[in-house]
Amino acid sequence: MKTWALVVDTWREALARHTLLGFLIVSALFLMVLGFALNLDIVDGTLAAGTLFGKALEFHHNRTPAIDSVVVTGESIFAGMLYALGVFLAIFATGSQVPNLQHRGTVDLYVTRPVTRTHLLLGRFLGAITLVTANLVFLCGGVFLIISLKTKVWNPRFLLASGLILVVFLSYLGFMYLVGVLSSSTPLSIMLPYALYMLSVPLAAHDRIAAAMDSRLTAGIVNGLYWILPKTAEVGRDLTTYVLGKGSPTLLPLATTAAFGVACLAAAVVIFNRKNF
Amino acid sequence: MGTSSAVIEVHGVVKEFRHWRRRLRALDGVDLEVRAGEVFGLLGANGAGKTTLVKVLLGLSRPTEGEVRVRGRNPRQASARARIGYLPEGHRFPGYLTGDASLRLFGRLAGLPEIALDRRIPELLELVGLSERGRDRVGRYSKGMTQRLGLACALLDGPDVLLLDEPTDGVDPVGRRQIRDILLGARERGTTIFINSHLLSEVERTCDRVAILNGGRVLREGTVDGLTRPTQRYRLRLAGGEPPPDDKMQAIGAQVLSSNGALEVQVPDVETLNRLVDVLRAERLLIAEISPLRAALEDVFVEVVGGDEHGPGGPHPEPGAGGGS
Repeated sequence: MKTWALVVDTWREALARHTLLGFLIVSALFLMVLGFALNLDIVDGTLAAGTLFGKALEFHHNRTPAIDSVVVTGESIFAGMLYALGVFLAIFATGSQVPNLQHRGTVDLYVTRPVTRTHLLLGRFLGAITLVTANLVFLCGGVFLIISLKTKVWNPRFLLASGLILVVFLSYLGFMYLVGVLSSSTPLSIMLPYALYMLSVPLAAHDRIAAAMDSRLTAGIVNGLYWILPKTAEVGRDLTTYVLGKGSPTLLPLATTAAFGVACLAAAVVIFNRKNF
Repeated sequence: MGTSSAVIEVHGVVKEFRHWRRRLRALDGVDLEVRAGEVFGLLGANGAGKTTLVKVLLGLSRPTEGEVRVRGRNPRQASARARIGYLPEGHRFPGYLTGDASLRLFGRLAGLPEIALDRRIPELLELVGLSERGRDRVGRYSKGMTQRLGLACALLDGPDVLLLDEPTDGVDPVGRRQIRDILLGARERGTTIFINSHLLSEVERTCDRVAILNGGRVLREGTVDGLTRPTQRYRLRLAGGEPPPDDKMQAIGAQVLSSNGALEVQVPDVETLNRLVDVLRAERLLIAEISPLRAALEDVFVEVVGGDEHGPGGPHPEPGAGGGS
């Protein structure tokens, strides 16, 4: 019941502060643009091009291999875009959660109830997961349906890939919670994850960056950061490869990304428990 | 430790805040006990350490030294806070919730079942006079309404212990009386009440015992009757509003302190008081009332705090305590 109360509270807050509405509007705009784009003549032409002398080439599933390939390639590009957009929107939608909880005069009401602080923080974390999952289902599910209905190519790997987006987002959410608990600042809770996102992308080339460093210390720092921080670029690359059907996601980038989030969340819980209000 | 009936026990509590290299001592060895069913008032000027002590009592803040027990348990443990109602000073309910939804949220967090909440929430809104506004967002509430909602929230799980930080802050006189009646009703049901306030008249009317805190130290503690001792001052009202013979009164040793409708006179002893009656009767003045005056809590407070070397509020500003103390 206490966990349910916290999840419901998270949704109410997202509704009242219009973050949920904003998320839905941006997602809906993206879907509309995609819908219009797929109705362009050039797309229809491409779909019709998979014929020979006016007769469609018979292959598996009554479609040409060329169409499957074009659609799946397009889906992998969209998956990459959704990866960036989904994480970006999710951070924005949930960035104020912990700072709002820690407002003076508000936190007293929550923390003095017979509920542990760990339960409070993790309850809201769970609320954020449900919120972002619902939005990702809307966004990714919408893209999947639009593409599939238009092309009649059903690629379930595209839907499964949205799970990867969720894992990466959860890692950033853990970091956001840590920043929120430490600073009680909504701007910092949003900006620092974005900064981390931008920092983690070039770190994919850490071996080449480290090789270019003139001291072992800085090279060690670059390599250390690579192993500690989320592997945003690698997971993104794995995601598009998976949608293309050219391989499964590799475990190491995903596991270290998840470990970063868990470590941040654990630190946030410990600090929140020790905090004086 | 403590007496068996003590519900709140505070022993040697020191609370220091560190701000860069500065150390601010908000509580300086506080010892207190509040017994079951008692209404206890903690008095102090702004910055005296009152809010810090309440936060320590609820586990919101950890004492630097010393020990706190509420019903024999450490309030940092979540389960120890069951059936402890708290009204924080300057509390802020999430503005997106309605009054009804706020009570439901915090009732659920207190572990109350839905069926109990369905019954309890309308009862409490009725009790605090908000039954018509339960569906309005808290963000639209006035200060007094928010305060009353806070009281309803504190009463949600039928608490054994109520900790109230400035409960009548921002509430109009009618609302104050309503809150006082609610608290007295809770006391009759055996609830132990700890009130933190700088409104001395409110405390005087409501509390059985009080402690005066200044500079993080308890300067005086006792029953309201014990602290507000009888004085040699009397209230004297003459029928017809005729002027008193000041010169004759002074001649027998009675000193007129004020004459705002009624006279306030100070006499050295009861014999002088009787002579004063004789003088007035000899002047054919009709005496409508003579009543002894006790030192008001305010007088005691000013005397105690004024006599403390730290002065009102003490030397320790109170970080994190808002505008209160």
